[in-house]
Amino acid sequence: MKVSKKWLNDYVSIADISSSILAERLTIAGLEVEGIDSLACKADLVVGEVLTCERHPDSDHLSVTTVNLGDRVEQIVCGAPNVDKGQKVIVAPIGTALPKLTIKKAVVRGVESSGMICSLNELGVDEKFLSPNSGEGIEVLGDDAIVGQDPLVYLGLDDDVLDVKQTPNRADFNALWNVAKEVGAIFNREVKWPDCECAASMGKKSQLQVSSTTVGCSLFLGKVINKLTVKESPRWLKERLMAGGVKPINNVVDISNFVMMETGQPLHFYDLAKMSVQEITVMDQRPGKLVALDENEYELLASDLVITSANKVIGIAGVMGGDDSKIDESTTGIIIEAASFSPVSIRNTSRRLDLITEAASRFTKGIEPLAPFKAMDRAIQLLIELADADDIEETVQFGDVNHVNKEVAVTLSHVNGLLGTSLSMEEVVDALARLHLSPVVDGDVITTTIPSFRTDLLIAQDLIEEVIRMVGYEKIVATLPMMPQTIGVLDDKQKVRRLIQRILISLGLQEVVSYTLIKESMLDGVLAMADPIALASPLSEDRKFVRNNLSHSVLEVVAYNQAHKNENFNIFELSQVYGKVGSQWRLSLALCGELLGNPWSKQTIKADFYAMKGLLETLFSQLGFEGTRLRLQRNQLDHQNFHPYRSAVMLLGKEVLAIFGDVHPSLAKVRGIKNVVLAEVQLDVLLAQSPAKIKFTAVNKYPKVVRDVALVADVKLEVEVLVAAINKAGKPLVQSIEVFDIFTSEELGVDKKSVALTIAYQAKEHTLTEEEVSMVHTKILENLAKAGAVLR
Amino acid sequence: MKKITDVKEAGLAAIEQSTDLNQLTQVRNEYLSKKGLVAGLMSEMKDLDASLRPAFGALVNNCKEELELALKEKQEVLQAVALQEKMAKDWIDVTLPSTKFPVANLHPLTLVQQEIEDIFRSMGYQVVEGPEVDLDLYNFERANIPADHPARDMQDTFYIDSQWLLRTHTTAIQTRTLEKSAQSLPIKVVCPGKVYRRDDDDATHSHQFTQIEGLVVGENITLADLKGTLQLLAKSMFGEDRIIRFRPSYFQFTEPSVEVDVSCHICNGAGCNVCKGSGWIEILGAGMVHPHVLDMAGIDGIRYTGFAFGLGVERVAMLKYGIDDIRHCYINDARFLSLFKRFE
Repeated sequence: MKVSKKWLNDYVSIADISSSILAERLTIAGLEVEGIDSLACKADLVVGEVLTCERHPDSDHLSVTTVNLGDRVEQIVCGAPNVDKGQKVIVAPIGTALPKLTIKKAVVRGVESSGMICSLNELGVDEKFLSPNSGEGIEVLGDDAIVGQDPLVYLGLDDDVLDVKQTPNRADFNALWNVAKEVGAIFNREVKWPDCECAASMGKKSQLQVSSTTVGCSLFLGKVINKLTVKESPRWLKERLMAGGVKPINNVVDISNFVMMETGQPLHFYDLAKMSVQEITVMDQRPGKLVALDENEYELLASDLVITSANKVIGIAGVMGGDDSKIDESTTGIIIEAASFSPVSIRNTSRRLDLITEAASRFTKGIEPLAPFKAMDRAIQLLIELADADDIEETVQFGDVNHVNKEVAVTLSHVNGLLGTSLSMEEVVDALARLHLSPVVDGDVITTTIPSFRTDLLIAQDLIEEVIRMVGYEKIVATLPMMPQTIGVLDDKQKVRRLIQRILISLGLQEVVSYTLIKESMLDGVLAMADPIALASPLSEDRKFVRNNLSHSVLEVVAYNQAHKNENFNIFELSQVYGKVGSQWRLSLALCGELLGNPWSKQTIKADFYAMKGLLETLFSQLGFEGTRLRLQRNQLDHQNFHPYRSAVMLLGKEVLAIFGDVHPSLAKVRGIKNVVLAEVQLDVLLAQSPAKIKFTAVNKYPKVVRDVALVADVKLEVEVLVAAINKAGKPLVQSIEVFDIFTSEELGVDKKSVALTIAYQAKEHTLTEEEVSMVHTKILENLAKAGAVLR
Repeated sequence: MKKITDVKEAGLAAIEQSTDLNQLTQVRNEYLSKKGLVAGLMSEMKDLDASLRPAFGALVNNCKEELELALKEKQEVLQAVALQEKMAKDWIDVTLPSTKFPVANLHPLTLVQQEIEDIFRSMGYQVVEGPEVDLDLYNFERANIPADHPARDMQDTFYIDSQWLLRTHTTAIQTRTLEKSAQSLPIKVVCPGKVYRRDDDDATHSHQFTQIEGLVVGENITLADLKGTLQLLAKSMFGEDRIIRFRPSYFQFTEPSVEVDVSCHICNGAGCNVCKGSGWIEILGAGMVHPHVLDMAGIDGIRYTGFAFGLGVERVAMLKYGIDDIRHCYINDARFLSLFKRFE
């Protein structure tokens, strides 16, 4: 909202307060000032009179002038075509800083020039306030301008406009009157109103009929003025409108805008001559088209509130009038509308039509109940004063407001109890009185009467806020809650999630956070939850569904980074995913490139299936899940996202904990990614089970005996089968089994591979003898042979 | 006797002349082995007169000891030389590039979120979460946002159907917590989480962002307590010198409501680009929990009061690290993410 300091000064005397202090105090009191704009640049300009004006001896378009600045006469070279002898003009003397240049003494084509004659444009005046021809040259002032004085004062451009942000509860600030009351309260100064009360109560009997057939209009005031004169507005009125950001048009239109800004109540004026009958009805259920006074055609729905006359739609209620009945230079009589419309209805209509007019935005925010009456009074007063309004009819009214000022009470102890302050009764009463809330004290109880414009004050807490606003929040002395001491701990699930993050970053995986909303084609990711959730009104097809899996989001991050040549990028994301049945916590990992590398020394950890397997095992082991609790199976669950022969399922108990492996080549192609190993982990499976507890076991002090075996087996015989065979025969002496070499060769034969293993034997209670080891080792070799692996 | 001296002299000379460990071993064998020269001398003792034997024996032993000592000393010298030679052969180019260990870090939003969680945990707050797909009831109605409020418009909220939506603020977690803990007050929690608004993404807007809200409900909780609590937060997050100020504001959930400004951590309040010259940065919304909110949750709003506050994790991250576009937080460019690998 734009608040002109000069306009504000019409109601409350603040000329002595600097704009920056005014802004600061308003901000602290809840009217946040987001900026201060000056109508024109602040510079030391003077009104000058052009004494002589000659052609420049050396130029077609330059003139050499002498200008009287009051205390001196300067020679100024001027390039404007409209400069002439005898004009009163705006002069920027030497040293003046204009928005785009600083004036210096200059020699222009051999002629000395001491200053500049200015256009409004050069003073930084907003384009929309320039008259069409003022862009053409210098601004020529009226004859009444006094030489040597400040031309900005003469032009009314010596104003600062505060850009104030309203909170939604203070719709009353849509009326400058109410802003003035607030400013009066803040600075404890008297606020004066233009005397217009009851100005609209006069008038002769009227033929006008007003009514409403919709609940969206609770009050409608109409008034006919049979005679008035459309002309240019006086300068003060134009200045006020310009400061408010509204372009002056003519006195009648300007008055309607002025009253709206002053009282917060939008008015609409219909050209009396253009109305076929003197009847206005507010309706809904009137779908169709209307050309509004901006000359655009709008499609109206049945739910829109419209203004009709003789059963014809003539305006979009509260948003914009129709083109057919608008005021123009030929208007000689008007019908005034001052009505209350439903904020919700106006909001829906104006937002749908993208027609957020000054009127619509005020109706949307809410208007105080008595505003239509106040606005009507003020409009009549101004129309009589400025537009020769005459032959005025009585106000006709549909509906009523039956407003009664409410009483709200609060106790002093409540005030201090909620704020944590020790304010005195006098301080509290003074604050409430300054806000025109008429406090009455009875013991500890303070009862206030809420004026019609403060519809936001309903309960004691609202009054407490008013008190501290006026007293100042800086008066509150900071304390901490007095409560039983508690320890801030994370629950088990939160702890596990933090652990996972810490473990994975320490293993070199970067955490990513991606969007929850995904497109339809991403719904078939790994372990995707059934029945995905779709938004009723998505912003775009790309963000239409709540994600039901994490792997596709992670692959999207990989695709972006591969496209940007960010190599060796290994990532994870931890997030909830959703389906209609509920939500699950997921962890997704993607590896591409290398985990650790030194190319020249050939030491690298390639991001392959086995790296992912190792990462997952390390992660789960650190979380307390390892050994026989985790089982690995070939992936039979998802051959769409994964390479069918290079992926696996990890089970915890009987539940699928994770699927991981190489991304399916077809999917990789579609996503534009390469060499990616992917995993999706169902964390809820892990969180549902108890991790192993740390328990002391004595360190084995007896020596290990190590034997290597080189076996030949079928190329597709899984190593796990061999390990199982060894363990079965070797219990309990086999302490560990390690694969140290795998190869295929022609000598071994087609479909054969060599597997070399190191078996470590160790007993818990004694030192192993050679005989013991050999016996077990022989049994193991027999068992391996049965499993299909013989010594090479 | 002279023979002993000769053997000793010759032996010492041989040791001295040895230039590597092999030669030294040969000298040792020649003199000190079982059939060596020293042993030979010893064997001559049996041919001597018994009275001469002790002196002879002592001399031979002395010869043996001297040779052993000299051998040992020479061996150490030669070993040191050999080691030097070996090490010199093991020369490497120390300027070759290193083996790169994998380094990674948490996402900046996680960093900031956990930092704030931890500040409040240190003050005894519990961390409470809730569903991102939530009921209109908890997101709006219980937060004192009535049916025709603009925030409930389809234009601003991602509805799923007439009842379900993507939560628009973490206040939804607070209203659930109030209901759940109505019979087990006091409440002292922080509620972090992802939230969603129907906004087009640009440098300062994101349809998805992260909030953390705090809620304390108990007896005699005051606005002054809120001020003290947020003062601590501001100092922990942005430095000991920070001060805060309250400005009146309006939220449905609280009354009175305040915006909380923190004195600018860049210019210390003097005015700069970051604080747009004001010296203050708006960081939090806060206030005293609205009595209707307590009533709706089944909490006696006369006996109990409470404060609530909320802040945007992205906003704090952007201020703290100088991030100029909120979309960086969700694009996940490796070059952006790796900026946060330093411990701070």
